[in-house]
Amino acid sequence: MAVIEANGLTKRWGDFTAVDSLDLSVAEGECYAFLGRNGAGKSTTARMLLDFLHPTSGSVRVLGGSGRDPEVRARIGYLPGDLNLPRTITGDEAIRYFGSVGRPPDTARVDELAERLGMNRRRPFHQLSTGGRRKVGLVLAFMTDPDLLVLDEPTSGLDPVLQDTFRDLVSERKAQGATVWLTSHVMSDVEHVADRVGLIDRGRLAQQLTMDDLRRQTTGDIQLTFPEPPPSGAFDQVPGVSHVQVVGRDLSLHVDGPVTAVLARAAELGATGIRTHQRELEDIFLETYSGSETDR
Amino acid sequence: MSDVWRIYVRWMRDRRRSTIWWSVGITIVSVVTAAFYPSLTSATSGGLGASDNATMSSVLGLGAGIDPSTPVGFLWSFNYSNQLPWLLMALGIALGTAAIAGDESDGTLEYLLAKPVTRTQVASARFAGMVTVLVVASIVNLVGVAATMPFFDLTDPVTVTAVDGSTSTAAGADLSDLLIGGLSAMAVGLGSGAVAYFVGAATGRRGYALGVASGFAVAGYVLYTLSNVTGSLDWLTWASPWRWFIDDAMMVNGLTLDVLWPFVLAVVALLAGWQLFLRRDLRS
Repeated sequence: MAVIEANGLTKRWGDFTAVDSLDLSVAEGECYAFLGRNGAGKSTTARMLLDFLHPTSGSVRVLGGSGRDPEVRARIGYLPGDLNLPRTITGDEAIRYFGSVGRPPDTARVDELAERLGMNRRRPFHQLSTGGRRKVGLVLAFMTDPDLLVLDEPTSGLDPVLQDTFRDLVSERKAQGATVWLTSHVMSDVEHVADRVGLIDRGRLAQQLTMDDLRRQTTGDIQLTFPEPPPSGAFDQVPGVSHVQVVGRDLSLHVDGPVTAVLARAAELGATGIRTHQRELEDIFLETYSGSETDR
Repeated sequence: MSDVWRIYVRWMRDRRRSTIWWSVGITIVSVVTAAFYPSLTSATSGGLGASDNATMSSVLGLGAGIDPSTPVGFLWSFNYSNQLPWLLMALGIALGTAAIAGDESDGTLEYLLAKPVTRTQVASARFAGMVTVLVVASIVNLVGVAATMPFFDLTDPVTVTAVDGSTSTAAGADLSDLLIGGLSAMAVGLGSGAVAYFVGAATGRRGYALGVASGFAVAGYVLYTLSNVTGSLDWLTWASPWRWFIDDAMMVNGLTLDVLWPFVLAVVALLAGWQLFLRRDLRS
């Protein structure tokens, strides 16, 4: 069952199109990372999921209904990119208040989350650091064990240990069947927790790939060094090899699949050095958006 | 406990300090003004009769038959017709702006609306909060003035000498005078707050709400005063809350049905603002 389903989802303000004919579907239990540059339409899409913004055209269904329905929102844990709560509210007050107007949280669960994230429960919100506010936001988002988590830059301001804790929290919720909509510029977060990635560019879905696709693509680039400049066709007969380039004594190539045959051929040719470079999500991200800089 | 109540209580709680400060400040202004009554009346020896100057009369709320040397006339012309409504207007506009547009500009409204509450619940709770703070400030002011006015001879009857030499006795001020004066001033504050609430709910913009409501209050005052001075554009002064407020001078002349106008305006602003709030996008 699709937990999030967008069909031709479009949001315009005058001549500006923030989200353009977005079609996507996120399955139950899936973690979908929605990535893009600043202003690409990520937050606008998230805000349409929660009915903060009304689509200009198209539609989006969330948990089988509309984000306008309070019953649907009761099943969503939301962490906005820039969390703002009343200035003087403390962590404990926020938990009580937002718990009282939503699905009541389990006290033991709240205590556990607050402890794992090291949340300051007594300090007024406006006195907390960026990371401290993020911790409050994460506790509030996770405390009711929601069926859908909508998380916008969840680890912004968190130290590496807490980023790790966050990844554990997401993994635990996923294991319990929850769906996660994640926006992040921290690629390691995405690579650790996402099942699928959507790249949005100027409001349009530029590409979608599963983490399996990504892993296949990361079978990498290899650079070999030889005592003498090798012939450019030296690896023509090796299966899976492409993009062979020779520069002086260095030969670089890309290989899809097992690298055994490449290594055997390199040994035959007397290679003296080998370096590998794995394509990461960040490379794909940069490739997708390279060239769009000048268009902005 | 309903969600509306919880949202209302939280909003009130976030404003408890400002409510206390506003209430105390307004009351201090009223009490300090009242404290001038003995010295003012003795200094002028009852010569504070209605001015011939139309501008000053408008400013002081000195309609026909209002004598500022009497206790009620003094309270009306030196506080309840000008300072108090202005202060309650400022409070009303601040609250009406904060109700939706202020929280929306701060980003706190969005997070609340991510929870299973409706915009209707938020709009009604916030409106109720605005009214409550205005009522609390008005009650504190009422209690403060009522408790201190015996010390300033404002409860004593006074003998007034008219221009023709005849004398009459004016009663001292009592609680009902303060109630009526406070109610009509609060109504003006509520009307202005309702304008701010409406613009804020309709647009989500703090600046618009503040600007339009303040303009409504100030322009209405200027319009009414200039019209009194020049005698022109009288028909337009019906758009000004000051027209019925000062012309009726309810604290002196007794309550009239005109006091209902701001309440009608508030209901219309609530309904229209609520409907527009339901239909628009939240600002980020």
